[in-house]
Amino acid sequence: MDELIYALKEQIIDALNLEEMTPDEIENDAPLFGNGLGLDSIDALELIVLLEKHYGIKLASPAEGKSIFKSVSTIAEYVEKNRKK
Amino acid sequence: MISITGLGIICAIGNDAPAVLDSLRNGRSGVGAMKYLQSKHSYLPVGEVKLSNDEMKQMLGVETAAPVSRTSLMGAIAVRQALQQAGIGSVEGKRVALISGTTVGGMDVTERYFDQMKSDDSLLDLPQNNECGKSSREIAAMAGLGNAEVCTISTACSSALNSIILGSEMLKRDEVDIVVAGGSEALSMFHLNGFNTLMILDKERCRPFDDTRAGLNLGEGAAFVVLQKDAANSLAYVAGYGNRCDAFHQTASSDNGEGAFLAMSDALSMAGLKPEDIQYVNAHGTGTPNNDLSESQALKRVFGDSMPEVSSTKSFTGHTTSASGSIETVMCVLAMQNSFTPGNLGWKNQIDGGITPTMGTEGKALENIVCNSFGFGGNDSSLVISKSAPKDEAKADADCSFKVAAEVLITDAEELKGLKEFVSPMESRRMGKLMKAAYLSSLRALRDAGVETPDAIITATSRGMLEISEQFLEDIISNGEELLKPTLFMQSTHNTLSSAIAIRTKCHGYNITYSQGDESMDWAMRDAERLIRTGKAKAVLVGCFDESTPTFSSFVERAGKEAPAPLYAKSVVLCRC
Repeated sequence: MDELIYALKEQIIDALNLEEMTPDEIENDAPLFGNGLGLDSIDALELIVLLEKHYGIKLASPAEGKSIFKSVSTIAEYVEKNRKK
Repeated sequence: MISITGLGIICAIGNDAPAVLDSLRNGRSGVGAMKYLQSKHSYLPVGEVKLSNDEMKQMLGVETAAPVSRTSLMGAIAVRQALQQAGIGSVEGKRVALISGTTVGGMDVTERYFDQMKSDDSLLDLPQNNECGKSSREIAAMAGLGNAEVCTISTACSSALNSIILGSEMLKRDEVDIVVAGGSEALSMFHLNGFNTLMILDKERCRPFDDTRAGLNLGEGAAFVVLQKDAANSLAYVAGYGNRCDAFHQTASSDNGEGAFLAMSDALSMAGLKPEDIQYVNAHGTGTPNNDLSESQALKRVFGDSMPEVSSTKSFTGHTTSASGSIETVMCVLAMQNSFTPGNLGWKNQIDGGITPTMGTEGKALENIVCNSFGFGGNDSSLVISKSAPKDEAKADADCSFKVAAEVLITDAEELKGLKEFVSPMESRRMGKLMKAAYLSSLRALRDAGVETPDAIITATSRGMLEISEQFLEDIISNGEELLKPTLFMQSTHNTLSSAIAIRTKCHGYNITYSQGDESMDWAMRDAERLIRTGKAKAVLVGCFDESTPTFSSFVERAGKEAPAPLYAKSVVLCRC
């Protein structure tokens, strides 16, 4: 799981162009949206692309992403259960 | 007063005004299976014009075997119809302007030949299709307006309505005798995939203002109106208009529809009308969850208890993006002339907090109509169309003079490091080179002029967001239309720059982008001067922004011409004095 979490953080930094951040600066359970990292609706769409690209997971709508994208931990849990690759 | 004297239209529900009228009255949608557009996502319904490029060339008597963009072909067909109805034969000795709105321009040609252009020298005329201004020039040439002034407005989906606004302003100030204004936009793989990355394309036929709506269907088409001052043969009048910026987000509307509210309020105020004087609103109504709720809020704020009949005709045509403003204006005039309101096809379920659209009414007298058209970057425009001649605006030019209060030029990418002074790395994470340069030059110029929020933002760009658009196109080709980045598409429209600056400076004022090759900046300055001279603005930010990429520059150099500068960002603040 730790490996997956670290990989996810690297993929998020790359997909969202968070150039000045390192994986260690993103806390596992900190909120990604709103007051946490401060991501927005376009970032959520990028995370949907990320899931498909790296894990073969296809979400049907942005609404499905809401509960999944709460934090890096919640993404990791979802990926663990649903990954196709 | 500004008369509409001719209508031209071609879209999914008909190739001319009589055919469109018949489809509207009989509830016949033109949205269906993809036939002419080549895309892997053929399961998505679209509103195509039911003609091949060859058929359109034949209609126009165009004999070239070379690829011509559908944007140009459809545009020329619509312009010819409009001129014919207005009874304008020879334009000899008259000052004529063709103003066209487009964002996709000749992308349908570019995307088809992009890979071949990299090696085939016989295709080196084609990269010009990258410039929106080229399609407008082609429209003028094919429609017999080769000597007209040609101007292209590129504010994404509100482009065509903004063309009608500009044309009306030019006529009011006697800059021209005849204006042909509207817009044209062909479907392209580029923007179909782009909207798909935003996950706002419905896989079924769209259902604007319905609680189960799941997005829009893309459409294509062109429409133009002939505008003349004090004409004897008026079909209807342009009584008022407004263009405002929501200044909220590149691709989403604010919850309370601020920009839309301000645009409609301005249009009514210019027309000297009250909410109860309006009998019908042709809504922007795309069918996305966000637009329809936000527009509902704006409509409720403007009309309150006197809500007129409202419908979206996008369930007939699909969202014809940059052309939608003029396509829907023509539909409004047809509705007015024939005393009916078009129905909001496909609507069944009320949105909680939403407006209740009309399913269409026959025998409805329409004195005044509002037509809404909104675009990315929160570019919101409204037009009031009236059956009777409006009272003339009594005021002449305030004739204020102006001065350049500040000017900043950036051409060296090294300088962009200075952006850190204004924005955090988090804010600049998506910005490409041109966006950074536009942002930095504008914020510096505003600071130098001592202006926090300008009254209007006007930008000029020949090729727009070239680097980001090229990357998106490369990805479409190399990834086979899969796994594309919404971040790239959301920044691909030409008005991305003016919108981003508006969001940053909280500027809800007039927001326009010109894209007419090397003449873009002249058009922008002319507009800024007009705003100040007529007393509509005190401080206007004008920007001229362009970039090149190694690929694009190599196309130009192989054609034996000088490559454009890699980066050019000039921001000017004009102030009344």
